[in-house]
Order: sequence, then structure tokens, then C-alpha cells
Amino acid sequence: MEQPDAVIHQPLRLRIMATLKALPRGERLEFVRLRVILNATEGNLGAHLGTLETAGYIRIEKDFNGKKPRTRVSLTEAGTRAYGDYVAFLRAIIDGTGDTTHAN
Amino acid sequence: MTLSPGEAADALRDIAATETHSRQLYGYREASPHLLIWGILWAVGYGLAAALPRYGSAIWAAVVTTGFLAGYATAFRAAIRRGTPAERPVVETRRRAASRLNWTYSGIAFIAALFIAATLAVMSPVSGRQIDAFIPLVVAAGYAVLGLWLGVRFITIGVALAVLTLGGFFLLPAYFGVWMAAFGGGALVLGGLWLRTA
Repeated sequence: MEQPDAVIHQPLRLRIMATLKALPRGERLEFVRLRVILNATEGNLGAHLGTLETAGYIRIEKDFNGKKPRTRVSLTEAGTRAYGDYVAFLRAIIDGTGDTTHAN
Repeated sequence: MTLSPGEAADALRDIAATETHSRQLYGYREASPHLLIWGILWAVGYGLAAALPRYGSAIWAAVVTTGFLAGYATAFRAAIRRGTPAERPVVETRRRAASRLNWTYSGIAFIAALFIAATLAVMSPVSGRQIDAFIPLVVAAGYAVLGLWLGVRFITIGVALAVLTLGGFFLLPAYFGVWMAAFGGGALVLGGLWLRTA
């Protein structure tokens, strides 16, 4: 990997990916819970989730839990691969085997 | 712009901390209903066994069976929830979940029964009160060990359970069953609620 993935590289998006990656495969996390875990504002988190969804890295599902609307987020296969590649990129830099440039 | 090895190391540390935090909170949430189930069942089991000591064995057989069935149902619901209907039919998700859980729960039941039976056989003769204290102590140790990987709240619950068990055993031997119904079961219920708030 010569360049880091610009979508994941943003700090909050990276933390979103890390939070979802730690869950069992296929598990969904509610938006409100993700917001608490990441200590992020609703608008900021929503915008970054939109970017990750557009890139195909996460899946956002909206439904009703009883009468309450619910938004749940999960990692896609593409997201899992992209996250793994990004972590490998960081490790390569530390090992001195990777390209250290990244798009800003 | 370049990314230095130091910045890469910082990013990896942040990633590791975030993953650990997420995993711990997830573990707390998943464990919570199991503690609530067993807390209520302990309260019922110890309470009934204290009131009707003649039927102690039958009461505990019913309590343990109920606990395993309720735990299985809870874990099964969680496994179905994790299934992804968009990629896989619900029936297939149910079949896979049941297949995995059947092995897991059979294994847990078999190992737990074997361990407790073997330990009691080796230590025999033991009184009913000793058995009533021994099992909660094993559970407490289990939570404490689990906490080494899954988070400090499990360690706290394990330590609290052990202290309460030993306190009742040594300080209030005549009322140990009632004590465990209130404080052993109560500790698990409170622990379950505490994990839920994580």
C-alpha cells in the first residue's frame, strides 16, 4: 500500500472503524451507543458515517425498535479489508518498509 | 506531507485503545442479561433451599436447568441479532447459531458438572453449607479471571461476590442461605445492571 486510505485516515473515522472492527462479525452498533463510545457530537458523527457509507466501508440500517426509530451501523467486508490494509500500512511505516507519504 | 514512524505508532496505539474499549463495552453489555438471570435464580434457589432444606437438591436441579435454558435462549437471540439477513437467510442464521451454541452450552454444562462433582468427591465429606459457599466462590473466581481479558468490572463483581460469600459463611453461618439469597443473588443482579450501564 503506497498511500493510506484517505477515507479511513481521518481520526474520528479511524476510531469508528476500530470500534466496529472490535465487534463480532455481523454485529451492529446503535448510532446513539457509538456516539457515546466515541464521545462525538451527533452531527459530526453522522457526517463521518455518511462518508464511510459512501465508500462502502460501513452499512447503516434504519428501522424501528417498537415505536422508537433506530439507526444501526456495521462494518462491511470491504470496510474490514480497508481497515486491515490501513493498519498494515501503519505497521510498515514503523518497520521502515512502508511509504510515509499520505494525501492530506 | 509525511507520516513519521512516531505518528504511525501513535495511530496504532489509538486504534488498539479504541478496539479494547469497544470490546470491553460490548462484553459488558452481552454479559449483563446472564448476570441478571443468574442473580434472580440464585435469590430464588438459595431462598427456597433455606426455607425447604429437604428439597434442596430438587430445587437446585430446577434452578440450574432453568439458568442454562435461559442463558441458552439469551445467547441464541444475540446470535440471531448478529446474523445479517441481507446476506444470509434467517433460517440459515438460526441453524448456524443453534449448531454453534449447542456445542458451546453442552461443553460448559459438561465441564462445570464434572469439575464440581470431581472437586466435591475429592473433598468429601462436605456439608451443604460448604457446597453452597464453594460454588459461588468458583463463579467469583471465574468472573475475576474473565476480567483480566474483558475488563475491570468483571473483576470487581468477582471480588464483591467472593467477599460477600466468605462474609456470610464465616460471620452468619446460621443464616447463610438467606444471606446468599439476598446478597449473592443481589450482587449478581446489581452487577448485571452495572454492566448494562457501560
